[in-house]
Amino acid sequence: MSIDALDAPATGEMTLIDRLLAEQRELTAVERFSQRHDRNALPLQAQYYQDLIPLTKPRPGEQYAFEVDMDKCTGCKACVSACHSLNGLEEHETWRDIGKIVGGFDDTPYQQTVTTACHHCVDPACANGCPVLAYEKDTETGIVRHLDDQCIGCQYCSLKCPYDVPKYSKSKGIVRKCDMCSSRLAAGEAPACVQACPTSAIRIVTVRTDQVIARSTRDTRLVPGAYRSDYTKPTTRFVTKRRIPADARPANSLRPHPEHSHLPLVNMLTLTQIAVGLLLAQALVPRFSGTLPLPFLVAHVSPVNVAGLIALHLGLAASVLHLGQPLKAWRVFLGLRKSWLSREVAAFGLLPPLAIGAVFLPASLALPAAILGLFCVFTSIMVYADTHREFWSFPRTTARFYGTVAIFATAGVAFLTGTFAAAFAAAILVTVKLGSEIWFLRNAQRADGSADSLSAQLILGKPLVLLARVLLAGTSSLLLITVRPESIAIACLCLAVSEWIERYQFFTCVVAHRMPGK
Amino acid sequence: MTPLADRFLRPRTGPLTADLVQTPGEFGLGRVPQRLKPNAITTAVCGFCATGCGLNLHLRNGEAINISAATQYPVNLGMACPKGWEALTPLDAPDRATTPLLRNRHGALQPIDWKRAARAFCENFQRIQREHGPDSLAFLSTGQIVSEEMALLGAVAKFGMGILHGDGNTRQCMATAVTAYKESFGFDAPPYTYADFEQSDVVVLIGSNLCIAHPIMWQRVVRNRNHPAIIVIDPRRTETAMAATQHVALRPKSDPSLFYGLANILIASGWIDRDYIDAHTSGFAEFSEFVTHFTTDRVSAETGVPAEEIWELARTIGQGKRVSFWWTMGVNQSHQATRTAQAIINLALITGNIGRPGTGANSITGQCNAMGSRLFSNTTNLLGGHQFENPAHREKVAAALGIPVERIPDRGSLAYDQIIDGIESGRIRGLWIIATNTAHSWIQSGRAQELLRKLDFLVVQDMYHTTETAQLADLVLPAAGWGEKEGTFINSERRIGVVKKVRRAPGHALADFHIFRLLAEAWGCGHLFREWTSPEAVFQILKRVVRGQPCDISGIEDYREIDAAGGIQWPATRPVEVPERRLFEDGKFYTADGRARIVFEEPRPVPEPVDDEFPLFLLTGRGTSSQWHTQTRTGKSDVLRKLYPADVHLEIHPKDASRLGITPESKVTISSRRGTVTARAFVTPTVQEGHVFLPMHFPVTNLLTHNEVDPYSRQPAYKACAVRVTPARPS
Repeated sequence: MSIDALDAPATGEMTLIDRLLAEQRELTAVERFSQRHDRNALPLQAQYYQDLIPLTKPRPGEQYAFEVDMDKCTGCKACVSACHSLNGLEEHETWRDIGKIVGGFDDTPYQQTVTTACHHCVDPACANGCPVLAYEKDTETGIVRHLDDQCIGCQYCSLKCPYDVPKYSKSKGIVRKCDMCSSRLAAGEAPACVQACPTSAIRIVTVRTDQVIARSTRDTRLVPGAYRSDYTKPTTRFVTKRRIPADARPANSLRPHPEHSHLPLVNMLTLTQIAVGLLLAQALVPRFSGTLPLPFLVAHVSPVNVAGLIALHLGLAASVLHLGQPLKAWRVFLGLRKSWLSREVAAFGLLPPLAIGAVFLPASLALPAAILGLFCVFTSIMVYADTHREFWSFPRTTARFYGTVAIFATAGVAFLTGTFAAAFAAAILVTVKLGSEIWFLRNAQRADGSADSLSAQLILGKPLVLLARVLLAGTSSLLLITVRPESIAIACLCLAVSEWIERYQFFTCVVAHRMPGK
Repeated sequence: MTPLADRFLRPRTGPLTADLVQTPGEFGLGRVPQRLKPNAITTAVCGFCATGCGLNLHLRNGEAINISAATQYPVNLGMACPKGWEALTPLDAPDRATTPLLRNRHGALQPIDWKRAARAFCENFQRIQREHGPDSLAFLSTGQIVSEEMALLGAVAKFGMGILHGDGNTRQCMATAVTAYKESFGFDAPPYTYADFEQSDVVVLIGSNLCIAHPIMWQRVVRNRNHPAIIVIDPRRTETAMAATQHVALRPKSDPSLFYGLANILIASGWIDRDYIDAHTSGFAEFSEFVTHFTTDRVSAETGVPAEEIWELARTIGQGKRVSFWWTMGVNQSHQATRTAQAIINLALITGNIGRPGTGANSITGQCNAMGSRLFSNTTNLLGGHQFENPAHREKVAAALGIPVERIPDRGSLAYDQIIDGIESGRIRGLWIIATNTAHSWIQSGRAQELLRKLDFLVVQDMYHTTETAQLADLVLPAAGWGEKEGTFINSERRIGVVKKVRRAPGHALADFHIFRLLAEAWGCGHLFREWTSPEAVFQILKRVVRGQPCDISGIEDYREIDAAGGIQWPATRPVEVPERRLFEDGKFYTADGRARIVFEEPRPVPEPVDDEFPLFLLTGRGTSSQWHTQTRTGKSDVLRKLYPADVHLEIHPKDASRLGITPESKVTISSRRGTVTARAFVTPTVQEGHVFLPMHFPVTNLLTHNEVDPYSRQPAYKACAVRVTPARPS
C-alpha cells in the first residue's frame, strides 16, 4: 500500500487529495466549450410552437383558451416541470397538474392522462370570491391574472376554485397561479407547457365566450370527475376522438384526501359562533342581576357577556392569523359587491363596538348586538356555502354554524336563569347536532366515490378525534341538565372543545372539487 | 372604480409581482424569469435514461441555475421529459454524501477524511485479497457514470488492484440485448438511429411502455408522417398500448411462442425477403422447419391471443414496407430473455427489415450510459468490446494502454448474480459498489440485503449516503453527480454525447474519476495510470483501444467536436457529416462469415407458475415518467414527486379484486414465497385478470420477486413471479 503517496506533494505544495478537491471546485464548461448560440438569438423553439398559438389577438367576444388533445397526451408530464422551470416557481410549486382517468372496467380497458392548469374561466370563481379584487380577467385576452402584490393570502380563491388552481405559497404568504404565460403570448412566444410538450398536445386557441357559456351546462364537465361546468364556465377544451367509457373515473376518485385544516379559521368560526350564542343569551335574558367581582368593571356585568366578548375578540384575532399578508387586509372592502368573505369581514368589523356596548347598556344594545351577530354568522355560512362543496352546502353549514350558536344561546340562558327547560333544550340541541353528524357517517359504506361517502370515510379515518367529540358532547349534555351554574360553565368549556373538533372535521373532511388526480 | 383609485387600491407592481417578471433570455431561449437570466448557456446530455437528450444548461458565472431542453440537439429536438427538466434539483438534496463515512465500532457511520477513507479501503481489501485470494473481491459498476470513469474503474480494479470480478447494474437492464446481438450480429450493435421511428410504416413495440419510459422516443414516433401502424405487445394496457393501433395483450413471458408463430405464418404466406435471407443470414432452413411446430392454434393457446389477432399482426408485419421492431425490459427481464430478443431479431432478418430506413431489430436501452458500460466497463468484456479469453485482444489492449499484458486477466468476471451467490458461498468477501442500489434493485432484495450484510467489507460509492445500499456499507465514498463532472455517455442509438461540469459538488464529494485515481495511488498502482489524468485524456486512450472494432471512434477529435456536432454515433472512423446513421446498410454483419445468425430454441414455461397457493402473476415495471429506478435522485425533487402516487400501490383487475374481497383503495397484503408486503389496491382494468402490477421504484417490490436469471445473459427475470393478494388485516 502506498498511503504515503497521498501525503507527498503531487504538484507544488499540494497533496493529491488537496489537488483533486481543488479541481472538483473548478467550473470549466464555459471555457472548454464554444458557445453554440449568439447572445441575441431569437427563440429557437419557435419552429415547433408557431402553429400552436393563435396568429391574431382575440376579437371582442373572444378570448384565449387552452386546448388539450387527449389522444396526443401520453403521460410524459413534461408540461408540469417545464412550467415550473421556465416560470421560475418555488421548489414545491406547480401551476400545472397531472391526473389520470381509468374506465372500461367491464369492457375495453381505458386510461388517459389529464394535464390541467387554470381554465381561465368566463365566470371565474376565484375572482368572484376574492375580497380584495386581486384577480382580473384581461379584457382583451380573457386570461385570468392574479395580482400578486394585491393578494392578502386569505386563500379563499383556492376554496372557491373547483379545479384547485390557485396555489398558496407559505413562504410568500400569497397564492399564485397560471397566467397562460401572458407575457410570453404578448411577445409572440408560446406558454411554457405548449413549448415543452413533445407531442404538441397542448395549444392555445381563440374561443367565443358565448359558445363557452352555451356549452357550460349543469350536465357538462371538462373531463370525467371534474365539477360541472356551469359553475365557472371554464374555457379549456379537452378533445379526443376516442370514446370515453361511461364508467371512466379519476384514478383517485375513491381515495379519501384530507384537506388542509386551516386552524385559524377553525378557531375563528368556533369562537365567534360561541360569542354570538352568548350575546343572544344575554339579549334573551336582559335583566340579569348577578354581579361580577372584577375591580375595574362596573357592577352588574354579566359573566356571559364577558365570556362572549372574549370569545369574539379571540376569534377575530385568529382570523387575522389566517392571512398570509395581514397588513394588506385593510383593502377587504373592495370585494363587498361580490365576495361573501368581504361581507363577513365587514359584518364582524361592526360587531365589537355593539357587543362591548351591550355589556354596559344591555337593555338597549344586547338585542341589536345579537341580531348583528346572527347576521355575521350568516355571512360566515355563505362564505362556505358559496364554494359549491357538498359537505359545505348551505343547509349543512347553516345547521352546523347556527347549531353552535343555538347550543351556546340555550346554555347561556340556562346559566343566567337556572331553568331546567333551558338546560334541557341545550342538551337536546347538543345531542341532535351530534346525532345528525353520526347519522351522516352511514355514507362511508357506499364507497362509491361520492363526496358524502369520502367525507364520511375521512371522519371515520380519525376515530380518536371522533371519539373525543362524542365523549365531550355526551359529558356536557349530562353536566347541562344538572342546571348548576358551575356545571353549566364546565359544560360550556367541554362544548367549546367539542364544537372545535366538529369544525376541524368541517375543514379536513370536506371533499374539494378538483381535476382528476393520480 | 376610477382609474386613479384602482391604481392606488390595486397595485400591479411590487416585490411579489417582480418575482415572476420575465425577460428575453437571449441565446435562443425565449423569455425566462428575470431572476434566472443566464449569462451563458451550454448543452450537456441528460444523466437519467439512454434516450440521451441534450439539455441547455443556463449558466451564470459558469454555474447552472436552470435547465431547458436543447432545441437543436438531434436526439430530442427541443423536448425533454420531467426528469431532464428537473436534472439539477437532486444535486441540492440535503442527504448528499459530503464526506467519506466509516462504520465505527458501535456500528454507526462516522465522518472521516479522504486519507483515512483511502487507507480503510486499501487495508481491508488488501487484507481480504491476501487471506482469500484474488477471487474474493468484486466490484459492481453502473450505467450511470461516464464512459471514462467506467473505463478507469475497470482498469484500476482489474489491471491495477487485481480484483478479478466486476459486473454492472447493466446486468439488470441490457445484458440480454448484449448477448442476443453478439450471437446474432457478431457484436453488441444496436443497429438503429432515432430517425427510424419517423420512417417506419409499421412500428412494433415489445415489452416497452415507450410513452412514459422513453417519452422523447415516443415523440419521434408521433413525428412519423406515414401514419404508421403501431403495434404494442404487452400484457398491460399501458399508456403506449392506448396509443397503439393494435394492442396484443399476451400472457406474460409467452413472447417466444408468439414470435415463432408469427415467423411460421410469415414464411408460410411468403411474406419474407428470400433474397435477403439467402444473402445475409445463416440458419434459415433449420429455423423454418422449427417454426412449423408453432401453429396458430398452439400459439393462441400459449399466448392467450386470439388467432385472428395473431393473423392480423402477421399481415401487418408481412405487408409492411419498413417495419421496425423495438423492445425493452419486458423482453430483457425474462427467464428466456435472450431467445426472446433473438426471436424478434429473426423476424426482422427474415422479412429483410434491417439496414434500411425505418427498420431494424432495435433494443431500446435503459440507463444513460448503459451503452458506454457495454463497451468500456471492463467487466465481462475486456475494454472496448474485446474478449479477456482472446490473447490477441489482451495484447492489443495492453499495448494501447501501455501496461504489461500479464496485468490483464485471461478470463471474464462472474456475473452480478454469481457475485451475489458468491457472497453466500463465502467466495466473495469484499465488494465495492459504485452508483447503484443493490439492496433495493437486486431481485429478491431481502436475500441481497442479507448477503450484503454478510460481507467482510462493503464499500459504497454514491451521491447520497441514504440509499438502501449505502446504509449497509462499511465505507461510504461521497461522489459528485451528473453536472458536477465531465465525460461522455453513449445513448441508445450509439450516440456519444458530452456531460459537463456546471455545478460544484457539495463538501468533500469527488467525481468518481477522482476517487478512482486517489484509490489507485493509495493502493500502489497509480503508476499504471499516469496517462489517465482527466476524462478527456481517457477518451483519447479509449479511441486507441477501440481502433479496428465495430465501435471504432478514432475519427472523433475531442469533446469539442462531439459537443459542436450534437453528439456523434459510433462507428466514427473519419470526420462525420450526417447526424443520423444506422448499421448494416450493406448487409454485412460482424460475424466471422458476415452473415447474421438465426438463433432459436424451444420455449420454456415460466419458472414459477401460479398455483392454488400463489394464484396471481406479479408484473413489475416503470411507474411513471417522473420516476427513475430506485428513486435515489427522482425522489429528491418536489416536482417529480408530485407526478406519481406517493404510496406503494398494486394494480389489480376489478374481477380479481371483487373475488378476493378487496375494495378499491383498501390496504392489501401481497405475499410471494420470498416475502410479504403491504400496498394500497388500485383497482384498474388496465391489468389483465389474474395479473397484478407493482411499480419497481418502491423498495418493497423486489422483496417479492423470484431469483431467476436468463441462462445466456444472466439477466434477472423481474417481471414474473407468483403471488397471493389478500385484504390487509386492520392494524
